[in-house]
Amino acid sequence: MDFDLPNEHRMIRDTVREFCEAEIAPIAQEIEDEHRFPESVFEEFGQLDLMGVPAPEEHDGAGGDYLMYALVAEELGRVSGAIGLSYVAHTSLGLMPIVMFGTAEQKERWAEPLARGEAMGAWALTEPSSGSDASDMDTMARKEGDEYVIDGTKQFITNANVANSVLVKSVTDPDAGYGGISTFIVDPDDDGFEVVEVWDKMGLNASPTCEIKLDGVRVPEDRLLGDEGDGWTQTKKTLNGGRISIAALSTGLAQGAYEAAKGYATEREQFGRPIGKFDAVRDMVVDMDRKIERARLLTHKAATQYDAGEDVTRISSLAKLDASEIAREVAEDAVQVHGGYGYTTDFAPQRFYRDAKLMEIGEGTSEIQHLVVGRELGL
Amino acid sequence: MSTKILVTVKEVAEVDDEFEISGLDIDDRYLEYDLNEWDDYAVEEAVQLSEAGDDVEVVTVTLGPERSEETIRMALAKGADRAVRVWDDALADAGLLDATTKADLLAAVVESEEPDLVLTGVQAADDSFGATGVALAERVGFEWAAVVNDLDYDADANVSSVRRELEGGVEELTDVEGPAVLTIQTGINEPRYASLRGIRQAQRKPLDVHALDDLGLDESVVDSPVDLTSMYEPESEGDAVVWEGSPDETADELATFLREQGVVEG
Ligand SMILES: Cc1cc2nc3c(=O)[nH]c(=O)nc-3n(C[C@H](O)[C@H](O)[C@H](O)COP(=O)(O)OP(=O)(O)OC[C@H]3O[C@@H](n4cnc5c(N)ncnc54)[C@H](O)[C@@H]3O)c2cc1C
Repeated sequence: MDFDLPNEHRMIRDTVREFCEAEIAPIAQEIEDEHRFPESVFEEFGQLDLMGVPAPEEHDGAGGDYLMYALVAEELGRVSGAIGLSYVAHTSLGLMPIVMFGTAEQKERWAEPLARGEAMGAWALTEPSSGSDASDMDTMARKEGDEYVIDGTKQFITNANVANSVLVKSVTDPDAGYGGISTFIVDPDDDGFEVVEVWDKMGLNASPTCEIKLDGVRVPEDRLLGDEGDGWTQTKKTLNGGRISIAALSTGLAQGAYEAAKGYATEREQFGRPIGKFDAVRDMVVDMDRKIERARLLTHKAATQYDAGEDVTRISSLAKLDASEIAREVAEDAVQVHGGYGYTTDFAPQRFYRDAKLMEIGEGTSEIQHLVVGRELGL
Repeated sequence: MSTKILVTVKEVAEVDDEFEISGLDIDDRYLEYDLNEWDDYAVEEAVQLSEAGDDVEVVTVTLGPERSEETIRMALAKGADRAVRVWDDALADAGLLDATTKADLLAAVVESEEPDLVLTGVQAADDSFGATGVALAERVGFEWAAVVNDLDYDADANVSSVRRELEGGVEELTDVEGPAVLTIQTGINEPRYASLRGIRQAQRKPLDVHALDDLGLDESVVDSPVDLTSMYEPESEGDAVVWEGSPDETADELATFLREQGVVEG
């Protein structure tokens, strides 16, 4: 068993880290305060081939694997949860389903611009009255001639107001249950598509979270992704990959918070010595290290198994569940280590703390991860 | 007509804030290795020339142990076409290589590669001899220009119109006929980040390793009049004042400070 990253992966991680430290860390708090989606950062990601890491080269991706993608997501989380969230929503949710389930024409028309970083992706499953119970959706797509007409409301859709394509889950056959759900590629320029709300949130405010309304949106047949009725199976596969990226992002948040805490514990002096010399503070920092190691191992294991083509339902759920809790715990302790300064926006831990909380909610709450793993264990 | 640019690339040691000295060196535990900052600019300059011209080959040359291959691959990822690494037990045993030794080693590579242009960094961030590039030019009989912060290269004529940074804020504009060695100053361009695809392709680009024998050299090349006799941390004196805030505020504070210290009048 080899725990060393391949050279290529290590170089990519180091380069992304260098970029993040120079270009993102200095603006991370500012974009949060201004609730500003940093378009130019994503343009630069495009130039660095980061916008389609796991997409194959023939579709303008970087041709990397999920381990590589997880490393990138972790590095982004280490400096900015918001940029990280918009990035993974673009990649795992907006781009990869088209790569996995699209026709050659759909890949060329919709996936390739996303992979090149010329466009942002989004994915719309959640609705106002259907969250954890995601298949119980109200959005309907009616066939009319060679078009579909989509009506409904989608809630909490990351990137919807900056996206060039949104994958919208809709019911095409109300009597068929899970088998009655289909996915449509919707262009925000399509008539009847409207972003009705961009939410103010506890954190991650540089990543837009939108409510969208689809009011008689007409799309041609060739916007159906896969076959009618494939929507739910696609969703499960998409979330398996998505959870790995949320786990990686969480690991990054924890890492960022830990580094801040460790640095502060060595610099800050009270009672005549660095606070890290007090057992209570040292133990907090040690526990951060312990937990992050665990989160990263699980994440890398899930990514590696995903790359090997194995079923990762259990392991990706475990990774997401554990890493997101760890991110919140580590970030909370990082605030504590910083004392009063930790409670101010001049220091990063509060941002990690606020950002980390979402990781226990998005792409399936922790309760739902328990449900998924429980089912896998036969309970 | 094809052009070949040889770029010297060094892997330099970067020292942690806190470190210990062990023997004649800083303890390895406190060192991290990275591409020399000046060489990063030299690589970028060469890659930009290769992107602007047709049929330009960029070859990097490194004196360094196997560990340095990661740094070399980074230069390849940023767009160099292939790499040469020179290493040998004799070099490993020699410890410190002085500028003359390095020039001798690099000269052997220049003689076998026959480049039209050699770009080096002005200096290396660790040893800071700042002499290798010019010593190399002298050794191979090339024209040279040191501390170049602007370059306009005419590949057909093999002439480099350069701007050189001299002391006291004076700059010199001059033409250098090739084959030439230019030592590149930071700021001449904006080094790129390697792209993911660049990094992936770099793993497959040629990286040839040469021992002294392969270059027609023998161990005497490492004989040096320079000996490293001790390593110590100098006492540091003086304080640094750091102002934080907007450029407006900090400029005011700096101005006040300079006036108070009598650096400027008024
Ligand atoms: C910042 C942000 C970004 C998001 N991005 C996207 C996106 O891009 N695309 C998208 O489609 N969605 C997105 N979401 C939606 C997200 O996936 C949902 O919010 C999440 O799945 C929970 O759904 P809900 O909010 O309706 O909560 P509910 O499902 O109403 O849950 C409320 C509480 O009940 C618990 N609960 C529910 N059912 C059970 C059960 N069976 N057993 C035990 N406990 C249960 C939950 O765990 C939770 O604690 C985003 C959300 C946020 C906040």
